[in-house]
Amino acid sequence: MPKTEYLQGALDLLILKTLALAPNHGWGIQQRIKQVSRETLSVSQGSLYPALHRLEAAGLVASEMATSENNRKARIYRLTVRGRRRLEAETADWRQFSLAIRRLLELA
Amino acid sequence: MPNLFNTILTRVRGLRQRARVSRELDDELRFHLEMEAQSHVEQGIAPEEARRRAARDLGGVDQTKEAIRDVRASWVDSVWQDLRYAVRSLRRQPGVGVAAVGMLGLGIGITTAMFTVVDSLVLRPAPFERPDELAFVYMGDDHGGGAVVAPAVLRAWRDIPAFAGVESALPEMALVELDGSVVVRGTALVTPGLFDLLGGVRPVLGRIFEASEGRAGSDDRVLLSEDVWRSLYHADPHLVGRRVSVNGESLVVVGILPSEFRFPAWNTVIWRPIDFDAPAPSRVNERPMAYVRFARDVPRSDALRLATEAARAADGSNAGLRPWVEPLAGLVLDSYSQRAIPLLAGGVVLVFLVLCANVSSLLLARLTARQREFSMRSALGASRGRLIRQAFVEAAVLGALGVAVGVSIGWLLVSVSRALLPEAFLLRTLNPLNIDMRALTATSVASIAATLAAGVLPALIGTRVNAGESLRVIERGGTETRAARTATRGLLVAEIALACTLLVGATLLVRSFINLAGADRGLDATGVLTATMSLPRRDFPDRIARTAAAQLLEEQVRQLPGIHQVAWSYGLPPSGGAISFGNWQSDVPGAPILDMDVGRFSVGPEFFALYGIPLVRGRVFERSDSRSEVVVGERLAAALWPGLDPVGRSFSFGKERFHVIGLVRETHHPALDARLDRPEFYEPFSGVGGYAMMSIRCGVGCPDMALVRRQLVRAHPAVRVVEVRALEDAYFEQLARPRAAAGLGFGFAGIAVLAAAGGLFSVLSYAVGRRRREFGIRTALGATPGQIQRLVLHDGMVVAVIGIAIGTAAAWLLSRALASLQYGVSVSDPSTWAVVLGLLTVTIAAASWHPAREATHADPARLLREE
Repeated sequence: MPKTEYLQGALDLLILKTLALAPNHGWGIQQRIKQVSRETLSVSQGSLYPALHRLEAAGLVASEMATSENNRKARIYRLTVRGRRRLEAETADWRQFSLAIRRLLELA
Repeated sequence: MPNLFNTILTRVRGLRQRARVSRELDDELRFHLEMEAQSHVEQGIAPEEARRRAARDLGGVDQTKEAIRDVRASWVDSVWQDLRYAVRSLRRQPGVGVAAVGMLGLGIGITTAMFTVVDSLVLRPAPFERPDELAFVYMGDDHGGGAVVAPAVLRAWRDIPAFAGVESALPEMALVELDGSVVVRGTALVTPGLFDLLGGVRPVLGRIFEASEGRAGSDDRVLLSEDVWRSLYHADPHLVGRRVSVNGESLVVVGILPSEFRFPAWNTVIWRPIDFDAPAPSRVNERPMAYVRFARDVPRSDALRLATEAARAADGSNAGLRPWVEPLAGLVLDSYSQRAIPLLAGGVVLVFLVLCANVSSLLLARLTARQREFSMRSALGASRGRLIRQAFVEAAVLGALGVAVGVSIGWLLVSVSRALLPEAFLLRTLNPLNIDMRALTATSVASIAATLAAGVLPALIGTRVNAGESLRVIERGGTETRAARTATRGLLVAEIALACTLLVGATLLVRSFINLAGADRGLDATGVLTATMSLPRRDFPDRIARTAAAQLLEEQVRQLPGIHQVAWSYGLPPSGGAISFGNWQSDVPGAPILDMDVGRFSVGPEFFALYGIPLVRGRVFERSDSRSEVVVGERLAAALWPGLDPVGRSFSFGKERFHVIGLVRETHHPALDARLDRPEFYEPFSGVGGYAMMSIRCGVGCPDMALVRRQLVRAHPAVRVVEVRALEDAYFEQLARPRAAAGLGFGFAGIAVLAAAGGLFSVLSYAVGRRRREFGIRTALGATPGQIQRLVLHDGMVVAVIGIAIGTAAAWLLSRALASLQYGVSVSDPSTWAVVLGLLTVTIAAASWHPAREATHADPARLLREE
């Protein structure tokens, strides 16, 4: 599968959406995006982790070091209130955007 | 704003826990790797292989970490980074940094110290409660005047609503006796309520006066300053309640006042209560000064009207007079200090401006180099904002270091002046001398602003141009940029102009001092000692006793080796004895009444011989002369009988009438304050009084002054020796402050001139460095070294000539302000200008010399190879 290039906004949206379901660690988020998109979307850690830290610096997600189920130290991310609000706004935007694209493609 | 707060908190935490964050990042990525490997294992891949594959899929961990660090880097981090960069950059060129910090520090330090002194001495109001309500009052007509307020008027004023309080004080000097020695201290007779009028006076020990004290029977009380208590009574804790001897009277100490409290004069350290409403018979003639506190609820104009009416009603002699009010400023300065101190402060401001301009030009001289650096970094991807911020931080670091140095220098100078100036300046204020925070703030802000402006400008210019283009331009190595040239040359012109102004001012002060020191005194002061003694009435009740004592004292002194002549008098040069001010009239019919201050000396015939005052006409005293026969000085004679021979004539002062038997050469008291140099006349000496003054001519072999004092003490146990000093020292006292002013002024001018020269040197050196290629090409095209040198010298000279022209104009203006501090020299004095222009020319030539020589060392072949 070729690596799909996508807009940065899309990656943020994916991360926020994933975390909206449950707090998770970086690897978990990566796996979840892969599963849900049926392997269409794959996020490399080189994009994922900087994005997570950027979202944290922006206050959209929060994190803490925790011990995972298999007794390893992991950083668990969760959505903040502000992140949830941003997710709703971005979701609406994205729906509008993709609808516009689909209409355009169907018309053509 | 909880989010902003959180963000800052996270960021600050991020800065402080950098190590922990880094460790956690490692943990996070390792966890990812392990989970990846584990998932491979679960898919049936061997652990070794799974781990290898996971690592491969993970990609560059280091890049990820770098990216995360970029994301996480907060402004706290990047400012920290900028700070470290600034320190590194300053270390790379320590000379520039040290020079800039040193100049800023010097500027801030001396300006703050000077303003601390000026503020304490001149500007700050008196250190009493609500000082704006307090005033000193005297009576005068519509043109002013100086009549004191009569007791009846004071009493009347206590009853009107205009004032919240009316009190009086009369400063004098007193002899304090201590174990057989005598010292002179400032004292004041005060009404007991004065301390409450001023407010906030709390005794260190004991109490202040009670309202009843000062009336007959309770006027033997005294308050001492902490200074006197410490210096004369060794801070004796049991002094309160004991008796001390002041002016031969035994007084009970009731309290010790803090040393900061000085009133009504700067040197008042002893206070005695007096009831000026009903003064004791012996004090009826003493007229105190009136001090009032205006009532808060009465407008000032109404209060003055009420006071005028009350004064006229209470005392008929006040018709046509009205009260004049002067605020109680923080000081009781003499006129010299009042004029000199603000001028010196102005000089300091000029020095400060020169130093700031110099720092700016120093930083701007590096403009082109920094511009290249900024263009380079801009080309490598640094954002403009980031570059400007970096330049800002760098300049701020310089400024902050300058402020730190400035605070230390200022503190040092204030401490030094506190220690060194007590008698001359420090005590002349009613305020304590502490470093002035407003001045420190103002100078610090100004210098940081100057530094920032000069530091940020290169970044602004450097990043404005298209990076690639500017790199190309610089690679070609042109001359200085226009902006840099204009800015540095403009600053240099300002520096040289200010330095020139200061130098003119300082030279005038120095010349005035030289003139003062060399001025004609009309008498021979070298090799003369004077001794002042007090003969207490208790031990020397009448003239016979005093004459006998004088005889003994004279014999004792004559036993010393090297004594040529001894003379008794009342009044000693240069300040004289009694001063009579008022109306003088000669015997010429229709002669006008002259209002003059005249010095009066009571002398024997040997006085003129001892001081070498030549007789012009007539004769000096003989034993048979009556008290009204006098010898006049030339100035008084010229004033009373212009063009006539005064000998044989007479003149009057009020009811007194004098007959002139002789005319002597005028003596002078060279001083900036012309009023100190009064015309004088001499009356026949009628014997030693309670205050005995002896002049001793001893030529080259004058005995030690301590020896003279010992010899005098030995003559009679009851004689109190107040002072023995060389006459030269008495004249020298008049010179001490002009000398200090000249010294300070020259110091300031020196700093300014050196700073300007340093600025010129660095700017020219820098310009030469930039233009080496141009010079090389000129040389290759046949320019001689002389022509190249002239090119550089011309650059410096244009700046210098413009600067000196502006400075000269400013100096003309300054000299008007300086007029009152000048003695026998004016701003149009050619030798002053010769000194100023000579000094500036030499300095500027010296500063341009090295850069000009450097310019001729450009080897065209080598320079072109560098291309």
